[in-house]
Amino acid sequence: MPEVFIDGKRYEYEGQPMLLQFILDQGLEVPFFCYHPSMSIPANCRQCMVKVGTPVKDRETGEFELDENGDRKIRWFPKPQTSCSTPLQDGMVVHTQETSEEIARAQKDNLEFILINHPLDCPICDQAGECPLQIQTYKYGPEGSRFEVKKVHKPKHVDLGPRVTLDAERCINCTRCVRFTEEISETNQLTIVDRGDSNYPTTAPGETFDDPYSMNTVDICPVGALTSTDFRFKARVWEMNQTPSIDITNGKGCNIDLWTRDNEVLRITPRQNEDVNDYWMPDAGRDAYKLFNENRVDRPSITLDENNQSNTSWNNAIETFAEVIEANDPSDITIVGSPHASVEENYVFNKFFNLLGVSNAKFTPHVIPGSGDGFLITDDQAPNTNGCRVINLDETDDGAIQSVVSDAKVVIILSDDLIGRDVLTSSDLESPYTISLATNISDTTKASDLVIPITCVAEHAASYVNVDGRIQRSYPAKETKYTNRRLNLEMSEGRLDRFGTNFDNWVSEENKVDCLPLWEFLNKLADRLGLEFEYNHSREIFTELSNSLDVLSNVSYDRMDEEKGVQLPIKQKEVKA
Amino acid sequence: MAELSFTQEELDEIERLKDKFPTAKAATLRVLWLAQNKYGHVKDEVQNLVAEALDVPKAHVHGVARFYTQYYKEEKGKFVLDVCTCLSCQLCGGYDILHHLEDELGIQAGETTDDGMFTVNEVECLGACGYAPMLQVTNGVYVNNLTKEKVDTLLENLKNGNMPEFESKAMPELEKRNQAASE
Repeated sequence: MPEVFIDGKRYEYEGQPMLLQFILDQGLEVPFFCYHPSMSIPANCRQCMVKVGTPVKDRETGEFELDENGDRKIRWFPKPQTSCSTPLQDGMVVHTQETSEEIARAQKDNLEFILINHPLDCPICDQAGECPLQIQTYKYGPEGSRFEVKKVHKPKHVDLGPRVTLDAERCINCTRCVRFTEEISETNQLTIVDRGDSNYPTTAPGETFDDPYSMNTVDICPVGALTSTDFRFKARVWEMNQTPSIDITNGKGCNIDLWTRDNEVLRITPRQNEDVNDYWMPDAGRDAYKLFNENRVDRPSITLDENNQSNTSWNNAIETFAEVIEANDPSDITIVGSPHASVEENYVFNKFFNLLGVSNAKFTPHVIPGSGDGFLITDDQAPNTNGCRVINLDETDDGAIQSVVSDAKVVIILSDDLIGRDVLTSSDLESPYTISLATNISDTTKASDLVIPITCVAEHAASYVNVDGRIQRSYPAKETKYTNRRLNLEMSEGRLDRFGTNFDNWVSEENKVDCLPLWEFLNKLADRLGLEFEYNHSREIFTELSNSLDVLSNVSYDRMDEEKGVQLPIKQKEVKA
Repeated sequence: MAELSFTQEELDEIERLKDKFPTAKAATLRVLWLAQNKYGHVKDEVQNLVAEALDVPKAHVHGVARFYTQYYKEEKGKFVLDVCTCLSCQLCGGYDILHHLEDELGIQAGETTDDGMFTVNEVECLGACGYAPMLQVTNGVYVNNLTKEKVDTLLENLKNGNMPEFESKAMPELEKRNQAASE
């Protein structure tokens, strides 16, 4: 095994790792700005310098030459090396800032150099709190500035594109964004212009930065130079709460973090998962946070006379629902599952009505051919098409859905905007009594006679199977009217949640949606109908699923958490358009 | 501005340049140079033309053009006079030469005369400190050991379309060595 000595400790390595990545993998630390594990290595920030040497060998014998103490003689490189671009060699000796005064000084001076033209606007900068430059200046930087000349001024708050704002003065020219557009999204939209201390990234003249992945540059920007136009000045990172989740805007199931404050989702950022999305996600997925906050179905509503939906009580909704079921023969009831809802929801939805004698739920994939790009945007617009297949719902095409709906007396639709995506027209839903179980107000809920609000992906724990057959789960990120962050052990608590009281001005009841998880609503309905049916948590549902289906036999929530999702042994089927 | 395009000869020349380099990207500098010789500048539309001709990203060409000051991102005069005011030239009267030129042409440094003939720039060291003060004519010939009279003659010659001759200057050290070798 080749060996390397870092700060006096011996490590063994395999393959040909770069020094910086190896140091980081050992849990040690060397500061850096421009290095990114998924992109090329330009070594242009010069921050990760370390002292490197190799042992001297006798050319004839191949033996190590020893000094008078019997230690190996080390031939040091004449200058500090950038560890990100230094490949490990057998016997290499490395001193980082931990053990070398010289290196600590070099890094400090380099930081001073980087900070020469960097404005001191941390108090108003969006990156503050998650800024590598701030953190590393605090840890390794100079105490003050010796610079008495005016800083160079560059363009500020430039709209680089529809979703990204540039503040060129804050840029430290790490070129991460330029490399991203060259290597990852391959649109080549960004470049660095001008020279020396006046250079900054921008687009070619007349072009806008409208890359479908443009906001990833905001994530990788190590300073506040590139900020999200939408999220700017909305919240500080230390006020928010980070909850892992799954992107529900397409079939790829990018791993994401939901950032919440006072039960509002304020932004969405990608979470690293090598098997799905690496560090990236499409911009469309980041806009989905609005789905969780705005336009939600809040309290059940019922259509009493023509086209007049009005809110009603839960008791009344349950009573109405039960009466409709009792008044109709099960063969006249059609239930439509949804690739937009989770595995658990589809399963309990189907099971509940099967117990009543209704035939299996249908679902139709939500596919727009040609909208995918082979990277992280898929033709499939729904997060759980494969999940519906796994639990054996009846896959039908749009036409078949239309015909069964028009034949039925009662149609029950699970969180799928069938009218909005042109599977049905509102006239199709005029004659049958339509019940929607929905998260957001849509054309379908407007055309429904009874609307039951259910929790969305940001409010419950549930699993989704992506286009590649990988099952991953979400966590509850925001409270509903009936849940509590303190009592629900699965919910994370941010600083404000932990120390806030109901009398604080950042706490409001307004952002809590009056909705129930589907299984809890069905529990209540089962009580009223005298049905043997009770699930108190999605875990129970999933345990039952994994006990009954071979495909899910070794899968559990715990395993999904540990492995960031589990690849199921299912083939990717041609998705019918 | 009329639609820009390269003639067939120029396109052949670009192909020849591309063949000299392993990648098309590497030929960017040469092709920008070619375009500047044709149009006298590489404004945005010329940069885009170069990007199309080379089939490289527009942003890349823009970044390259913006990096170098010798690519003119705006229209300049027929003759661009870059007067050095770095240390050696400054000590030997570079600023006097610059101000003399400004007075003669009635413009400030960085401006172009109304007849589009001359642009005067104040520039950093051009590496001819031994013959200070000096100026450079349109990214090309150096005019060394300037005096006000020399500048006047130069302007006169340029107005008549006579470019100054290239002067070969031997280093004094080299002269001594050559002398020593011949003895």
